[in-house]
Parts: sequence; C-alpha cells; structure tokens
Amino acid sequence: MSLRFPSFSSIRDSSLFVLTLAGVGWLVLRGGEQLGYNWHWRQIPRYLFTYTDGQFIPGPLLQGLMVTLEITAVSLVFAACIGLVTALLRLSNSTVGRWLARVYLEVIRNTPLLVQIFFLYFVMAPIFDIGRTATAILALSLFEGAYASEIFRAGIQSIHRGQWEASHSLGLSRYQAYRWIILPQAVRRILPPLTSQAVSLIKDSALVSTIAVYDLTMAGRVIIAETFLTFELWFTVAAIYLLLTLTLSALANALERRFPRIT
Amino acid sequence: MEKNIHAATDQDEPIIIAEHLVKIFPGSVPALNDFSVQVKRGEVLVVVGPSGSGKSTFLRCLNGLEMIDSGRIVIDSIPLDANEKNRLAIRREVGMVFQSFNLFPHLSVLENVNLAQCLVRSKSKKEATRATEELLAKVGLSDKIGGYPDELSGGQQQRVAIARALALRPKVMLFDEATSALDPEMIGEVLDVMRTLAEEGMTMVVVTHEMGFAREVSDRVVFMEAGRIVEAAATRQFFLHPAQERTRDFLRQIL
Repeated sequence: MSLRFPSFSSIRDSSLFVLTLAGVGWLVLRGGEQLGYNWHWRQIPRYLFTYTDGQFIPGPLLQGLMVTLEITAVSLVFAACIGLVTALLRLSNSTVGRWLARVYLEVIRNTPLLVQIFFLYFVMAPIFDIGRTATAILALSLFEGAYASEIFRAGIQSIHRGQWEASHSLGLSRYQAYRWIILPQAVRRILPPLTSQAVSLIKDSALVSTIAVYDLTMAGRVIIAETFLTFELWFTVAAIYLLLTLTLSALANALERRFPRIT
Repeated sequence: MEKNIHAATDQDEPIIIAEHLVKIFPGSVPALNDFSVQVKRGEVLVVVGPSGSGKSTFLRCLNGLEMIDSGRIVIDSIPLDANEKNRLAIRREVGMVFQSFNLFPHLSVLENVNLAQCLVRSKSKKEATRATEELLAKVGLSDKIGGYPDELSGGQQQRVAIARALALRPKVMLFDEATSALDPEMIGEVLDVMRTLAEEGMTMVVVTHEMGFAREVSDRVVFMEAGRIVEAAATRQFFLHPAQERTRDFLRQIL
C-alpha cells in the first residue's frame, strides 16, 4: 500500500517544498520590482548561443562553459593523481615521504584558494613561464589534490587489515597488494566523497576568473559589464553550474551501481 | 641451486627452526618470551594454549607478518630477517590460513585462487586456472568457481582460503585458528580438508582449539602460556601422560 500511494506526510512535504520555492521566487521578484529592476530575460539566450543561417554559434556563456569544463576535467585528473600519490606517501614507511606529504597538506589546506591562485599566477608563473590556463589548472589541481588525498587515505585505511595480511602471506609485494587488492576495494568506497570533491572543484573553478581566465564566471562578468543584465546573468550562470554539478552527481551514481560487488 | 641440493640431501634437517623468539608488543607483556621450536618435514605440529598465550603471534612471526624483536627463524634454509627478498621468498614457501578467511571480496573464487599464482609464480592465466580447478576439486568446491566470497558459507570461504594458500605449492602451511570463526556444523568440512593435507605429508603448524583434531591428526603438541613453552610432546604422550601439572589443568578444562 504505502509503496504504491504517496503517504499523506510525503504529500505534505512535497507541498511544503513547492510552497517554499514559490515563496523564495516571489520574494526575489518583489525585491526586483522594488529596486525598479526591469527583467530582460529575452536577451539572455543569445549569450548562450545563436542560430543563424542554420548554423549553431555558441555564445560567450557556452564558450565560458567549455573553458570551465576543460579546466575542471584536467584538474580533476591531476587532483586525483596528486591525491593518490600524497595518500600513498603519507601511508608509506619513508619518513621523508610522510613529511613531504604533511607539509603539502598543511600549506594547501590552511591558506585560501584565492591567495594560492594569486601566488601561483603572480610569483610562480613568471618564474617558470607558464600561461594563465596552465596556472589555473595547477592551482586547482594542487588545492583539490590535498583534499582528495585525505579521501584516498581514509578509503585505503578503511580496508580491513586482514586484506593486507592475506596479500602478504601470499607473497605479494606492497605494490602488488595496492594494485590488485587494496585500491580496487578502496575506490568503490572513495567514489561518493570523491564526487563531492569534484563538485567542489567545479564550484572553486569560478575563482580562476580572477586571473582573467575566460571561464563561465568570467564570461558572465564581462557580459554584465556590457549590458547591466546583472540578475538575469547571475541566475543563468548559477543555473548552468547547478546543471553541471547535478549531472556529475548522477554520473557518479550510475558509476557506483556498476560495481555492486565491492562493498 | 645450492639451496636445492642442500634441501634434497638433508631431509632430516628441520624445515622450520625457531630459536629464542622474543616478541613484545609495546605496552604489554611479552607475547613470545624465549620461545624455541623446530618442525620436521611432513610433521604436523599443533600449538595449544589459553588465549593470549602467544600462539597466533608465533604463527604470524613465522611468515613475517610480525617482526620478532630477537631470536632466529629459518625456514627451508632461508633465514627470515630484515632482508625483504628473504621475507618474500619465505612467504612464497609458507601458506597461511586465517581465522577470518580474508578472501578478497572483489574477486571471484577463481580469481582469488589464481591471483598469487599469476603475480608471484608468473603463471599464465590458463595454467593458473587449471591448477585452481584441481585445488577447488580437492576442497570440494568445483561448483563455486565463478562465485564470489559473499555468496559462500563460512566453511566454504575457509576452504577457498585453503585452496588459495595451496595454489603457491607451499612447503609449509600455517593454520591460525582456522575453524574458530565457523558455525559448528561447518567445522567438520574444514577439518576434513586439513586432515587430507596432513595425510599427504604437508608440513603443518596448526593453532587450534579442536582437541579431537589435534589428537587424531597431529604428530606433536606444544602447549604454551605467556609466550613460553609449558610442555612439548608427541601427541599420544601429551594427551595420555602430560608431564606438567599446568598441562593437566588445561586439558581437564577443555576436554
């Protein structure tokens, strides 16, 4: 019974949810009205894309989105690598390795990302002659890598000691045990927290607009400076980020269902 | 090469030599306190004693899962020392079966048994699979070859774990309370496999509470307490005419 029909309390919850949303929407509209804000939603689509002479031309927002996607995707790969290596260093027998990892973690996690971006862009980039986009990717990878490493470490440590002992007793080397026994099991546990880290990465990537990387946020800022469509554009930009992160979460869910064996 | 000649000509040489083992876990009493024992080829040695007496620690030191603080362990003429190569070599010659099975949950039964053959013995997948099929037949689980550990009963898991350890063709098998985590009706099937192994001449060191098994299958029994040997004797002698008062006490309690 209860499976087929939504119960009274779930109907009440849903109505409350819709009501709250409507209330917030109404407040924003009223606020806009009181500010004397003129909504120009009609102008927004052309900043996303135009369709002329049967040709699809991406607007600045979509171009910015592509940059955001590119930076995020590359940083995600690097962050995962850095995270894994740092976690393995922290769990290694090497004192130097453990300390290196510790220093890296403490520095990254205890300074603001914005300052790290500025430091890399204004100090390191000129020295090593690296471009804006590369600097952005480097900053994001280093920052998210530190958090990813804690996720990896927790995942690896959550694997029961018996798995290590069984691997050792079969004569597997440390590397072989990691490669075939420990990491395959840890990855499944790591996937959900790693996804939320990836979501953070997408959101944090907005900060690279401060060093004039033409990402989604930067595109929004530029258009606003030209058109003063502040409300519409920030709503749109936020909606695009939301779409991106929700898609990613759905993707991770699907991925998780693909390895049902590992618990 | 030299090692092989040595082993072949000297069959009476004990395959396991453990001398004056000391193992102290920080902040507790010594788990092994000047513990010495030797095991001959083909011998089945049962280690008994109250919990916390150091039985498991002894087994775990034998294949380097725990490092001894002092003393000497030599297995099949290979000294177990800080040398990583020796440690890996010994682990390849010594199979271990754990109380909690420790099968790899993300791998099928076939993959569990195949893995070390391919990684450690560099066998092809085909060769390994053939050996695995034989081993699974031996432990009576041929029909479970494609299954996963969580689909098996405890007894079945432990039999797979034995097959997995045997897959490396070890010269010594260690059993660390292999039946203690099992429901009573499954203990028999695991003990049967162990009995078969003993009959085939496998050198075995068995930590167990199964006195029936010890009496029937073992050649020698070591009774230990507080990291020391209280009494070591041939099985018959141990059960019928224990020399120490403490041993008599212990046997009275558990028999």
